[in-house]
Amino acid sequence: MKKILALLLVLTMSIAVFTACGGSSSDTETSDGGDQYGEGYVFKHGFDLDYPPYSYRDDNGEVGGFDVEMAKAVCEYYGWEYESVPFNWDAKDAELNAGSCDCIWSGFTLNGREDDYLWSKPYSDNTQKIMVKKDSGIKSLADLEGKKVGVQTATSAYDLLQNDNEEEGGQAALANKFESLEVYETYTIAFNDLKAGAIDAIAIDVTSGNFLMSNEDGYTFLDEDLGSEVYAIGFRKDDTELCEKINAALDALAEDGTVEKIAANYPEIKDYITLGK
Amino acid sequence: MTFSTMLSTMADGMLKTGAIFFLTLIGSLPLGMIVALLRKSRFTLVRGIISVYISIMRGTPLMLQLLVWYFGPYYLFGMNIGNWRFPALIVGFVLNYAAYFAEIYRGGIESIPVGQYEAAEVLGYTKTQTFMRIILPQVMKIIMPSITNEVITLVKDTSLAFTLAYQEVFSLAKQISASQTSFMPFVIAGVFYFVANYVVEIAMNRIEKSMDYYK
Repeated sequence: MKKILALLLVLTMSIAVFTACGGSSSDTETSDGGDQYGEGYVFKHGFDLDYPPYSYRDDNGEVGGFDVEMAKAVCEYYGWEYESVPFNWDAKDAELNAGSCDCIWSGFTLNGREDDYLWSKPYSDNTQKIMVKKDSGIKSLADLEGKKVGVQTATSAYDLLQNDNEEEGGQAALANKFESLEVYETYTIAFNDLKAGAIDAIAIDVTSGNFLMSNEDGYTFLDEDLGSEVYAIGFRKDDTELCEKINAALDALAEDGTVEKIAANYPEIKDYITLGK
Repeated sequence: MTFSTMLSTMADGMLKTGAIFFLTLIGSLPLGMIVALLRKSRFTLVRGIISVYISIMRGTPLMLQLLVWYFGPYYLFGMNIGNWRFPALIVGFVLNYAAYFAEIYRGGIESIPVGQYEAAEVLGYTKTQTFMRIILPQVMKIIMPSITNEVITLVKDTSLAFTLAYQEVFSLAKQISASQTSFMPFVIAGVFYFVANYVVEIAMNRIEKSMDYYK
């Protein structure tokens, strides 16, 4: 019996310790009220590391990408401390709501999610395209009938192909004509399958697609778009102050040329960045 | 990205994989013994709780358990889970592996004939002495191959940490593979897991040999 008591005590104590840790950190964030986002604030940037070139492991193996550099620039602008919080894209909402990050800033599509988050101003245009082998004979969306098409799970291309509301640009009718819609964990694996001939086409964001094709010959986009949308930063709905601060910083960084300088590092997407245009 | 940058980036993940592996073993090997003993407790309630715990740990995917440990505090208590990622991982792994180890220990303990307990009693050994000096040394020897099996599985299971986006070898392999459109990171990860397990195998063989008593 003593053993059990001791075990129970250890359990309760460890739970108490964890609760205390969790509690205190959120307390310090809210206690100084108005000056919450002053100098030294730890800005927790939530993103998916599988999403080049917006957020990914760069050529040096470091966490990088357009969104990461922009978030760091914003932190520098306000004198904040930057903390990177990589998460799995499937779990983004739980991560944001549970407070492990301040925002979802990772090539995040606004369209269709207007009411789910508090949104910053859009900073990048994006179009969904169909990528095929040049010699595949597929020339238009209509040619996809009876073909196998790959897509990454929980992406906007995936949502488009699931959406049967044509007013919102949903393409479920098109997806129904495919032989099958193959859903992948990452576009990298989908691209390998396209190379290997296991699928005939990939539905993908133009920027991610450009990135995949940048090292490979023999692949192309169909001229017809699957859909079009914009990227923005998603915040928890009650974080208006933080959202306004980020918007102000984005404007300032666009004006002083920082945005242009960062975008120049990412030739695949620099034409799509809309800040300051 | 050059091959050497790829390797050095992934080496960082290997350290993190190693941390999960060792912390899990340090936590679950002793905890498993406590669970195994509690499972044989005199109290029905304790036995009941332990058997439900083992059923749940063995009956649900570890991947799911990790998600529950990480996001549970928020969904259940609305807590901020700021720095909870790594602790949640370790709690999940330790509790899961303790359940498996407990069953291995129990199997070992139950394989010792009752006659030995009776003989020990006749010779004047107390219950604790009997367990520590007579039963346990034989049990350790009997269960070694099963423990080796579990430890090898653990090396591979550490890759499940990717569900919580912890930056261990497998997560890094996925990310680098995405950014470099290359399959190489997965090959490196595969070689890493294989070599790690080869080392485990050799180490466990040594330990088994060192237990060459009672022959």
